[in-house]
Amino acid sequence: MSQLELRNVTKSFRTGKAVDDLSLHVDAGEIVAVFGPSGAGKTVLLRIIAGIQEPESGEVRIGGRNVTQDSPEVRGVGMAFQNFALFPHMSAYDNVATGLTATGAGPDAIKPRVDAVAKMLKITHVMGHMPKELSNGQKQRTALARALVASPKILLLDDPLRNVDAKLRYEMRLELPSLLRRSGSAVLYVTQDYREAMALADRIVVMLGGRVVQIDKPEVVYDQPARVDIARLFGDPTINLLPVEPARNGVGTTVTIANTRVHLGAGFEAAAGKSCILGLRPDDLTVEEEQSAETIPVDLLASTPLNERLVLLMKTLDGQEILASATEPPIGGRTTGRAYLRLDPNSILLFEAASGTRLQRSAGDPPVAGLGAPEALIADAVKGA
Amino acid sequence: MAATLALRDLNKLYHRRGKTPVHAVKSLNMDVGHGEIVALLGSSGCGKTSTLRMIAGFEEASSGTISLAGRSINNLPPSGRNVAMAFEGYSLYPPLTVRENIAFALKSTRVSRTEAAKRVADIAALVEIEPILDRYPLSISGGQQQRASLARALVRKADLYLLDEPMGQLEPQLRSVLRGRIKNLLNENKMTAIFVTHDQTEANALADRIAVMEGGVLQQFASEKDLKARPANLFVATFIGEPPMNVFESHVTPRGGVTVLDIDGGPSLDFGGAGVPAPWRSVLGSRSKVVVGVRPHKVAMGTGPFSAKVVSNQWLGDQSHVAAEVAGKLLVGVSATRIRTMPGEAVAYDFAPQDLQLFDADTGVALAHGLEPA
Repeated sequence: MSQLELRNVTKSFRTGKAVDDLSLHVDAGEIVAVFGPSGAGKTVLLRIIAGIQEPESGEVRIGGRNVTQDSPEVRGVGMAFQNFALFPHMSAYDNVATGLTATGAGPDAIKPRVDAVAKMLKITHVMGHMPKELSNGQKQRTALARALVASPKILLLDDPLRNVDAKLRYEMRLELPSLLRRSGSAVLYVTQDYREAMALADRIVVMLGGRVVQIDKPEVVYDQPARVDIARLFGDPTINLLPVEPARNGVGTTVTIANTRVHLGAGFEAAAGKSCILGLRPDDLTVEEEQSAETIPVDLLASTPLNERLVLLMKTLDGQEILASATEPPIGGRTTGRAYLRLDPNSILLFEAASGTRLQRSAGDPPVAGLGAPEALIADAVKGA
Repeated sequence: MAATLALRDLNKLYHRRGKTPVHAVKSLNMDVGHGEIVALLGSSGCGKTSTLRMIAGFEEASSGTISLAGRSINNLPPSGRNVAMAFEGYSLYPPLTVRENIAFALKSTRVSRTEAAKRVADIAALVEIEPILDRYPLSISGGQQQRASLARALVRKADLYLLDEPMGQLEPQLRSVLRGRIKNLLNENKMTAIFVTHDQTEANALADRIAVMEGGVLQQFASEKDLKARPANLFVATFIGEPPMNVFESHVTPRGGVTVLDIDGGPSLDFGGAGVPAPWRSVLGSRSKVVVGVRPHKVAMGTGPFSAKVVSNQWLGDQSHVAAEVAGKLLVGVSATRIRTMPGEAVAYDFAPQDLQLFDADTGVALAHGLEPA
């Protein structure tokens, strides 16, 4: 039985449907990230679960019980927000304790639990401080402690790391999963940062325009996005998207990019003649000095370092911009001028242009010779998670 | 390369009634070459914005000189400096459309009407604001305003371009392409640019050289590569790099005829029994303490003589981030291949001496970058 279950939840505002026929279940001890751009309906979803907002149709079930009509206090839901929302006139200790006073617990029962959660979050030394004396990181941990102290069945976190600095955000990203798992709550974690979603979550719920468009393990969302607009939200630099029309060619299909014909291998025959979008991750592209079969001539325009890589901006001869990333300047240290781009047919993504849905290679067909089937590679990667 | 912009002994003090003055910029010396792109990088209050505003002419320097293209500009008003700007406090004119705002920057130049229209269209396409060219500034989003004012600055010829957080509000999907286009524009036209940012990703992407500032003091002025490989001090070392450098306080200990580094509360680095490499002996001298640093990308995770308990292992689609408990803190290792280990397990790791940085334990000044003395 799932700790949290949503059945066909819908909520509209004057501007339209904020949450549209959404179903979802989260187990105890599971961390599910709710990811999407602003306006996708993420926060409304949390408010419906918490009981702050009522859905016009559908059910919210907690621990197997329908709580749709229950008031927020009795649902056993803890919440923390990006703006911390601490009571300014109360010490950190009292702020955390409010998470229990609402449940009717007496002071003797409260102290050991506040102390325990403060210790776990490493804020014991600031429990006597007022919120204005706390750093953003300490405020964020205090807000989290308040949400966790009553051992809620459901923990809702609304972009809690948004307002802490990059360094602390990174540290918290490393530490949060084990802290949250220890709480035993079913956790819904709202974020707009795909890396945070991938790092923290067991599963990611991708929301676009009020609808859930994909629910999967992080690596599956990244490697096998259900739609082109999901592919665009995962990865930095962003995936390249080129309009193509696959054509049948011998054992497989080819596409033509800037007058160069490139083989995609077998398995996409059904897409022949259809308008498609070819998705190329910058990491999967290779920039070469000399022209050879199936390489696309490009003009390198600029190289912008990103983390330990170089992001190369280039233009095909018909003016399409493409980003590739490399660990070293690709061609003798040169990062501008003519070069040749090679794509790896086994790591391309193909989407149907009209619907935006990803096309899968048909099973049984061997992809490009010499390499394992992409699905097998992905299954192997998932096993190692 | 002749310096286009030269800052000499530049100081800025803000005097506040009844309080001690704030020394926001301290004896800053900097040369920026023709066509160079420079980032002023630091956290809030580091002095980067005061520096930019002094160069622009919005703040008066308390002392020191600023020269641009061979002339001293200290006493010139902002409009007389031939500097193009995109920043807060220099906003778009509300009564003019975005197109008119951008074209206005070309008014004082002798550019034909058709040429002006073409330039506006080109720069608008570059920053992707074509659909809003005929809108008014107050009716567009903050991010669009930012791009419009960037376009207004870049559309005209100037001796220097000053940009304040030029891409702070951009949607992530646009960032990489826009960074590339702007860098290409600046490079192709040999435009000299200084931009302020608190975001090192932005600084790394665009700048030829980065001026790292802290407490009003220029800590280091070097390329992104040099800042990472040869940080001048512990501040720069731990500020630059995502995720930041792992640092451990260590004791320098003679043992078994060689010198080893004992990480406080952690493992002892004896480098396969050979002790510290020869080039370090002179820089270590008679020190008993030193800070050892290693970048996450240089930690060998999954192999090596040391072992630590894994706290987390996160795969981000293209990188593994593994954190393990070493010396009471987290040792972070980043790898482009997937590392297979679970929280709670032990993971082997290693540091190669050529990847370590040594710093003085008291002053934080760099002692060695890999095997090379600092």
